[in-house]
Amino acid sequence: MKDIVTSFGAWVQTRCDKDPESARWWLTTGYRAKKLQLQLAPGREVSRAAQMAAVQTMDSMIAPLAHPEKAAMASLFLPCEPLLAMGLHPYSCEGFGCFLSGTQAEQSFLQYAESEGLPETFCSYHKVFIGAAEKGLMPRPRFILNTTLACDANMLTFRRLAEYFDVPQFVVDVPYAADQGAVDYVAGQLRQMVAFLEKHTGQKLNQDLLEETVARSVRSLNNFDRYMTLRSDKLLLGEATGEMFSAFALHNLLGSKETEAYTLRCLEDVEKAPPAQGVRLLWLHTIPFWMEPLRTALDFNRQAQIVGCDMCYEGILPQFSHDPYEAMAQRVVYSPFNGPVSRRIDRAIQAARQVKADGAVWFCHWGCKHTLGGAQLGKETMEGAGIPTLVLDGDGCDRSHGGEGQLATRMEAFVEMLKAERGESA
Amino acid sequence: MSTTHYICKYTPVELLSALGGQCAVLDGMADSFDRSDQVSHPNLCGFGKAVLEACLSGQVKELVLVNCCDTIRSAYDVLLKHGKLDFLFLMDMLHCGGDCARERTKGELLRLAKAYGAYKGTTFDPKTFRAAFAPNPRPTQPYLSVLGGRVGEPLFRMMAESMPLPVRNDTCVHNRDVAMPPEEDDFDALMDWYAGALLEQLPCMRMADNSGRRQLTQDPHLKGVIYHTVKFCDYYGFEYAQLRGELTVPMLKLESDYTVQSSGQLRTRLEAFAETLAPETMGVREGGRAMHKGHYYVGIDSGSTSTDVAILDKDKNLVAGVILPTGAGAAAGADRALEAALEQAGLTKEDIAATVTTGYGRSAIQMGDKSITEITCHARGAFFLDPSVRTIIDIGGQDSKVIRIDEQGNVVNFVMNDKCAAGTGRFLELMARTLELSMEEMSQAGLDWKEEITISSMCTVFAESEVVSLIAQNKRQADIIHGLNQSVASKTCALCRRIGGEPNYMMTGGVSKNKGVVAAIEKQLGVELVISDQAQLNGALGAALFALELS
Repeated sequence: MKDIVTSFGAWVQTRCDKDPESARWWLTTGYRAKKLQLQLAPGREVSRAAQMAAVQTMDSMIAPLAHPEKAAMASLFLPCEPLLAMGLHPYSCEGFGCFLSGTQAEQSFLQYAESEGLPETFCSYHKVFIGAAEKGLMPRPRFILNTTLACDANMLTFRRLAEYFDVPQFVVDVPYAADQGAVDYVAGQLRQMVAFLEKHTGQKLNQDLLEETVARSVRSLNNFDRYMTLRSDKLLLGEATGEMFSAFALHNLLGSKETEAYTLRCLEDVEKAPPAQGVRLLWLHTIPFWMEPLRTALDFNRQAQIVGCDMCYEGILPQFSHDPYEAMAQRVVYSPFNGPVSRRIDRAIQAARQVKADGAVWFCHWGCKHTLGGAQLGKETMEGAGIPTLVLDGDGCDRSHGGEGQLATRMEAFVEMLKAERGESA
Repeated sequence: MSTTHYICKYTPVELLSALGGQCAVLDGMADSFDRSDQVSHPNLCGFGKAVLEACLSGQVKELVLVNCCDTIRSAYDVLLKHGKLDFLFLMDMLHCGGDCARERTKGELLRLAKAYGAYKGTTFDPKTFRAAFAPNPRPTQPYLSVLGGRVGEPLFRMMAESMPLPVRNDTCVHNRDVAMPPEEDDFDALMDWYAGALLEQLPCMRMADNSGRRQLTQDPHLKGVIYHTVKFCDYYGFEYAQLRGELTVPMLKLESDYTVQSSGQLRTRLEAFAETLAPETMGVREGGRAMHKGHYYVGIDSGSTSTDVAILDKDKNLVAGVILPTGAGAAAGADRALEAALEQAGLTKEDIAATVTTGYGRSAIQMGDKSITEITCHARGAFFLDPSVRTIIDIGGQDSKVIRIDEQGNVVNFVMNDKCAAGTGRFLELMARTLELSMEEMSQAGLDWKEEITISSMCTVFAESEVVSLIAQNKRQADIIHGLNQSVASKTCALCRRIGGEPNYMMTGGVSKNKGVVAAIEKQLGVELVISDQAQLNGALGAALFALELS
């Protein structure tokens, strides 16, 4: 039962070569089956909160396949509250790439994208998604919306797909500087984005509903922040995929009732959790959850766990604006992924202290130039702040970049080193 | 006076000049990235690393950057910490146009003016500002354009020298063209106009609306495009992918890592492209031997593994064909192979009417009347062997290439693998060694497979580890080899797709003898490959046919 979706990988890829619509049907069916499994038999050790995030994310991946006419393809950092308030289904293209990789269905899509002339060095999350879309697996969405945050890939993938699907696109341009002027600039664009949505759906956004949705976002983030603080002294076993589910719940699905319920459940779970135990790691960037050595080292493991991930939760502001557009704009402008890498490093140090991490892993996902470029600075600065940091090269979703053996050795040695620092035997 | 370097066309160069700056584009290609790799990461784009090298070596003391892309953002981060520059500034350039973007850009201009003026101890001079504007008009005669990611000076020079038409550098910063300023003296109003003028330039790929870039490819004087991408710079790969299906003039795709090395492989591609543009003028050897009275035509293909010689008589009959290991030197290898071929045909050097050299070592061989790239020669050879062939897959020891030809046997398009052994003969040789098999054994062994095994790693080194671990799992040798064959086939078929390969397909090169790989490619392409007995001699044969045309 565990791999009910995974076993579809090869089948979906083969099917897609012959009949993309049938492949889509199989994928949707597989994801529905996986959702059912997550609801009924999530696994003995999976926490209730992790189960909720997984089910919610699974729903968000099924929706664009089943109801493309209501689906909005979005970048991970796009504030999606206006979409949610209008009853539309935002889904992250990076998330979908990640899911296809989890389904072991990424290779033929990657190869297809590369054979179309796209660079081998391009982010594999985006490349998998482009391959899947252009091979016909993904249906035509209603529109495409993206921010320029957090990387160049956003400028390329969404423009190409908007042309490919021939659907309207809206870009939210995020200035580099984090100041009130930038917040005003982004808030103005978010208002334009709403006008864009209203024009293309013929629907009027209920501003009260938007305010309510954004208020829910702020509450959810506050809950999650409290959870991170409480987590510092507790042992919560989980798996790397759980962190990735959480990333979607706290980004594209932020503002939904499900996300708020998830964060409340996190607080309940953490209250009941036993005292902290084992090596605690802060993970920076995405997690290559498909790598067996990583799962062995960190999933449901009392000896070592991931206790935070900067892709999942980027921190909160002391005070969000009461204006919903400004509050959404603040989130992207003040995101640690915007501006110089020093902001991301400072936030990582803050997060490491918040969750009492023993060390951090700076994961250099293939193709993510911003993470790669800041790796040595991150290591130097974090170690200067007393947080041992491992720079780890790999790929979040492309198995052909391999290197599992190398990753395992580095990861295990780092955990051994941290254990020794804690006075535990390796 | 010190020089203020810049990298991006959105840099307000005229403003810097008006504040006393002497500006220059930072464009040098690096020999190595040792310094850069120490403080950043090897997988940043080569240009970004070249910027870091230039600054960390002390060559650059003043630098104005624009947050063009993730790599340059990172370069700025690194330079802030390790740069030791006298002046370093990052200007925020938005991705959109419109009034709001113009207002913020104006704010950035004022911020730069303040910082740079304070650094230089100068004030804004409106006359110098106006004088600094330099129009960049489009050509009015036939020309070739280099588009895409920026091209450094040494590579551009090589391009210009290789081409039969004038070449214009339209990459990145080099197509900078800001409108002339109005007669306005008020600094604030002038900066407001200037912000708009900078934003209204022909857009680069980072801008949200880049439809204006069509100007670059819809110019009636444009006769061909060399599309350059820098490894790990993704922006322009997308434009290339788009132009592939739209452009009506010939286009060559070239990728560099922004180092001056690897020029051999790039030169081959450039020369092959030039041969498609003006076949008659290319490759004639200066001071080449005068035409002899002989009646035989020689083609010498100097490859990385073997040197092949074909001799044709005037009726295109093959009178000798020799394949010998290249050995230590291309020239000595060619001499040896020619002697062997002459001996095989019972001829002497005096019987030779003309000689054409080709292959990776062609420029190292002094003999011959003309040097033609292996791409053009392979096309000619394959077409001679089978005129129904439209796509040639050539997998040799060092590189793999796919060539598309028209119904006259002319090269229409071609693509070669990058600087990576994956998908080449070398990849298979290494794997054969790991499996302790000869190449002949490897060729057959994969045909008897039972279990579908995927070798997921494309990197040769990682694939080797994967094979070792499959051996440890007691997987059948035939299944592992089949997995390897599939891996080479996938890489090859991706190249075929990239240039729109169409039947009939011919396979040449050493790997065409590998039955397992041939079967895997045939399965993936869904067509049968034409494999001639002379497949390995194909390049030399094409060269000999060109030699015949010289007479």
